[in-house]
Amino acid sequence: MDRRAIGNGHLWGLGMTELVRLTDITKVYQGGVTGALNGVSLTVEEGEFTAVMGPSGSGKSTLLNLVAGLDRPSSGSVMVAGADLGRMGEAALARFRRDRVGFVFQFFHLLPNLTALENVLVPAQLRSNTSAESRGRELLKQLGIEEIADRYPAKLSGGQQQRVAIARALINRPTLLLADEPTGALDTRSGDQVMDLLMQLHRQGQTILLVTHDAKLATRYAARVISVLDGRIVDDARLETAERAAVDVIRVRGEETRR
Amino acid sequence: MSLKYGVLGLLAEEPLHGYEVKNRFEAMLGGTWEVNIGQVYTTLQRLERDGLVRPVGARGDRGKLLYELSEPGRKALASWLAQPESGPQELREDIYVKLLLAARVANSDLGPLLSRQKRTYLQRLRDLNQLENRARRDGRFDLARLVRGALLHTEADIKWIDELSETAISGDSE
Repeated sequence: MDRRAIGNGHLWGLGMTELVRLTDITKVYQGGVTGALNGVSLTVEEGEFTAVMGPSGSGKSTLLNLVAGLDRPSSGSVMVAGADLGRMGEAALARFRRDRVGFVFQFFHLLPNLTALENVLVPAQLRSNTSAESRGRELLKQLGIEEIADRYPAKLSGGQQQRVAIARALINRPTLLLADEPTGALDTRSGDQVMDLLMQLHRQGQTILLVTHDAKLATRYAARVISVLDGRIVDDARLETAERAAVDVIRVRGEETRR
Repeated sequence: MSLKYGVLGLLAEEPLHGYEVKNRFEAMLGGTWEVNIGQVYTTLQRLERDGLVRPVGARGDRGKLLYELSEPGRKALASWLAQPESGPQELREDIYVKLLLAARVANSDLGPLLSRQKRTYLQRLRDLNQLENRARRDGRFDLARLVRGALLHTEADIKWIDELSETAISGDSE
């Protein structure tokens, strides 16, 4: 395992900058244990594609919401891009969310009375950036859905809606892209397309934190897979990304030939 | 399965000599089963002895002998193909036994072992994902199906490890 960590070069690699640091996080919910966190520490480097994996109720979404500044921990600290979220007031936190993070949810959360393009532009307008339209169109183009810019969400397929949501998440050039089960409401094909898009963004340098219950999805795209169970990180695996020969991965074997 | 039906299946397409059987068999399995040429010849001889294949003509170029499927061979193949696989499930990996023994020997802190094993399975899942993609890219959809099977098995292994980890955390009440 150590060999892998070193071979992967993430920790000791060149010029990696720490983007997220969670220290001794606990999160207690009144009246229930589901989604709670119990002593979580974690760092994410800039440019990483990390998957946080666990069953429902394990706390993985809670973890993402804390990093996004959507929720506050009961104890412990959350640092993102050098900022201590615990020291921020509500207004500063709202600014942080708007400027620093892009969020993609399972159920898209598009505003039904705005067109696709208008949805994409919402975060830019919150920032009084009125010149964002060309970037919005450019993003829709990059995501392969430029032709639906003026349509309303109800007229879009799930895959198209999720791509609109991704464009919206990217409009303010976030430091960190957070995705919570982004393919959970999509069929396999649209899900693959959405994930391929995230992968493309990652190759362009986007830091991505993906939350999923799906091990296949996690390992297919993320080179680092963090397992969360019962509110704790039980494993943090950095995977080798080099392609292997088939014979080193699967071996179909028969019984020994008998006489 | 033994090599026997692999050989019969390939000969059902056309007569082949031993080396072609080896090459085609390995290509069919995309390199996931390496066959010893000696094993192929032994299998062919045994099949000939049992009347399931027969040589075509005489030894040709560099002593190569072509084999074809006989009628009994064709029947044996058809009935094998139609038969679902039965018999007990085989768990070939050591981890199954290792976990039982670790619980006895190491005073039952299975956490580190489970976590390392999970890592191995995650890596395998990633490798299988790549293999599946490669097979599809190369138009080898038959091979992609084989890899799918392996993928699903590995997903099940991961679920199993997760369950064990959960009982390790919450304490075994049995």
